[in-house]
Amino acid sequence: MKTKTSTKTLIDGSKLMIEALVQAGADTFVAYPITPSNWMYKYGKQRFPQFYAAPDEITTFQWMAGMSAAGRLPATSSAFPGIALMVESINMAYAMELPLIVIITQRLGPSTGSATTGAQGDLAILNGIISGGYPVPVFSPSSFEDAWELSVRAVKTAVKFRTPVFLLTSKEMVMYQKSFDLSKLKPITKVERQKPKIEGEYLPYKADESLVPPFLPLGNEEHLVRITASTHDEAANIRKNDPEALANTRRLRDKFLNRIDELTIYNLDKQEGAKDLIVTWGITADAARDALLSLRQKGKKVDMLVVKSLLPVAPVIYDIIDRYDKVVIAEENLTGQYKEILYGNRPIKHIKQVNKMGNMIHPQEIIDAVL
Amino acid sequence: MTTNLKTTYLTDKKFPFCPGCGHGISINALNKALQELSYDPKDIIVVSDIGCSGLIDPLFATHTIHGLHGRSPALGLGVAMGVAQKQNKKVIAFIGDGGATIGLQHILEAARRNIDMTLIVLNNLLYGMTGGQISGLSTQKYKEIIDFEKDVPPFDLIQLTHASGARFAVRVNAPNKIKDTLKKAIETEGFSIVEAASLCPSYGMKRMNELMEVVENENILEHKRPATKIVDQETPSLIEQSQVIETKFDAGLKKRKGIIIAGSAGGGAQSVARFLAIAGMYAGLNTTMKGEYPITVGTGFSVAEVIFDHKPINYTGLDKPDYFIIVTEDGLNKVKPKLHRDAKIYIDEKLVTDDLRYAFPELIVVPFSKMANRKSTALAAATYVLNKEQILPIEALKEAVGTHRLKDVFVDVIDKVTV
Repeated sequence: MKTKTSTKTLIDGSKLMIEALVQAGADTFVAYPITPSNWMYKYGKQRFPQFYAAPDEITTFQWMAGMSAAGRLPATSSAFPGIALMVESINMAYAMELPLIVIITQRLGPSTGSATTGAQGDLAILNGIISGGYPVPVFSPSSFEDAWELSVRAVKTAVKFRTPVFLLTSKEMVMYQKSFDLSKLKPITKVERQKPKIEGEYLPYKADESLVPPFLPLGNEEHLVRITASTHDEAANIRKNDPEALANTRRLRDKFLNRIDELTIYNLDKQEGAKDLIVTWGITADAARDALLSLRQKGKKVDMLVVKSLLPVAPVIYDIIDRYDKVVIAEENLTGQYKEILYGNRPIKHIKQVNKMGNMIHPQEIIDAVL
Repeated sequence: MTTNLKTTYLTDKKFPFCPGCGHGISINALNKALQELSYDPKDIIVVSDIGCSGLIDPLFATHTIHGLHGRSPALGLGVAMGVAQKQNKKVIAFIGDGGATIGLQHILEAARRNIDMTLIVLNNLLYGMTGGQISGLSTQKYKEIIDFEKDVPPFDLIQLTHASGARFAVRVNAPNKIKDTLKKAIETEGFSIVEAASLCPSYGMKRMNELMEVVENENILEHKRPATKIVDQETPSLIEQSQVIETKFDAGLKKRKGIIIAGSAGGGAQSVARFLAIAGMYAGLNTTMKGEYPITVGTGFSVAEVIFDHKPINYTGLDKPDYFIIVTEDGLNKVKPKLHRDAKIYIDEKLVTDDLRYAFPELIVVPFSKMANRKSTALAAATYVLNKEQILPIEALKEAVGTHRLKDVFVDVIDKVTV
């Protein structure tokens, strides 16, 4: 059946994400089964050099943190009920500054909700997941190409910024199959973890202007490493609220915000003279693409912004939105979580929301909102 | 680096424990044990968590990691998994009795996995930092003295971890035995646990003889099972294993069409939808395939959607399917709300009711269940509709089933329907 000419296959987002993570250098998968992450689990077991079936999601994350501290690059996938159990451990890994990757397959909540129904309802949680309001990098694929490329970006970002990174996807992205041209997948270069050059004493949380401290694994032969989740100074000595420790804690935010350009990914589909803008992310982008095509065929001039790095919010997103007279923000949740992150709860005159829960947003609903 | 009895694994920091606290005895015993075993401090990773036992973090001049309350056995196991392929590394995790109560699952999991690490439980019978509350390890006799939940027995960590497969599980009370016990635990390859009972002078026992009276049952339990080894697996690319499909046929359809196959669990609706999607690709079309079934996958409805289009498919929802292929009652009940008069509704003869006929006068009734056995009815039905509606050439469907282990059975079903 295999021919040299064709590169088309029937594939799903789960397979693309797992393969891309491994090719980019993630080496260990730890997970507790949960719908709609089932295919991630299956592929993770097939493809990762090491795979562990953890007994629960807290254990999952603790194992990952330990492995990461020892120099491995672990990943997991879960859905809200599992993520909820992980929250304290996510805070721990964030404060310890450990690179790892968490895929969230969104499903309909609240609580157990409906395991096999898609959603885009977990963005607000990620926006406040770190106690104290510190940002975490959140990437959200809007297509199969994104599923591939953002997985690579997640690995790169986790290593570069010494941080947990979230890939926020949805049941509809990872548990359906679609004909896909594999030649659209860009080759992946494995993220090589450079051994930092340490002169003199190694202070595990002393950063240069990059604001990211050089990483050495526990158990290395050159320098003793201290890692802690409690408020600490550059040497990882546990301190309360002394100035040095607070400065180190503040750095956890600054390392992202001062280098926000390195974390910003979006696609702006422009048309000369358009005054209307559709803003969307994740699974709703597919409906928005159809809506855009249909509107343009009708002669309506309209642009579309697909945001792929949702958090922390990049200033350029505001710059883009501010250029338009009318903006439609479409996302599959009850209140418009991305809109609320951008502008709060207050209605904004020129911004229209298309929100829905329990079903994917239909292209026609976006068209109606634009017209 | 060579080590000798002068090597210390401790920093010069003063112990932070209350006067009379037993934790310091265990810390000094560990230092001595490591000295006698001549470990390089760079080979030791000390894991700690929260509570008085967590105060040890700054005391160790080894690698250290300090995490969350009750989680040091899991965090430590993660580190142990991470360093398992390196030579001579030793992970030593500390936990208190309160932490052990929270993290009991982690401890049992580490025991059954039996990856090389040592867990030291500093059991001072109570929560020292928050006011002397009892923990899951507080002994019966101690609870009788303080008259608090005295009818609730404590967890016996040593028996529990032994039952879970720990290589070496020991409870030790006498301070002079701790060092040698720790030496044995550290030398053990696999999971070892040492529970050291100790004094909390602030809330509990004030004198050693009191402690010895309430903490009984020193216990040593061992298994001979070898430590679990960890290796990285070589795995092939998932993409390279994907079936690449070339266009071999012309599609019959002119514009986008959506099909719903509605059956029951075990009836093959999902496989058939996948065959249709692949067949569509053999016919040069873009396709999507989506399945829906209850979480209890082995019973109830099994519904699958397939979309064909010459143009790229973005939005994958199927709000108004063009064709329904309904083969079972479960399937019918599931898709009933989606039925509409513009669609062609193919339905098994057994499922037709007067109400359904009234609502949808143009129902197409076919004896699907007579065409094949229960497991192949969905395939027979899909073949029938594909052929009738000229959506795709039947040859494309045969090609699609061609890689399946039951392809001969399937081709037979297809041939019988299309004769």
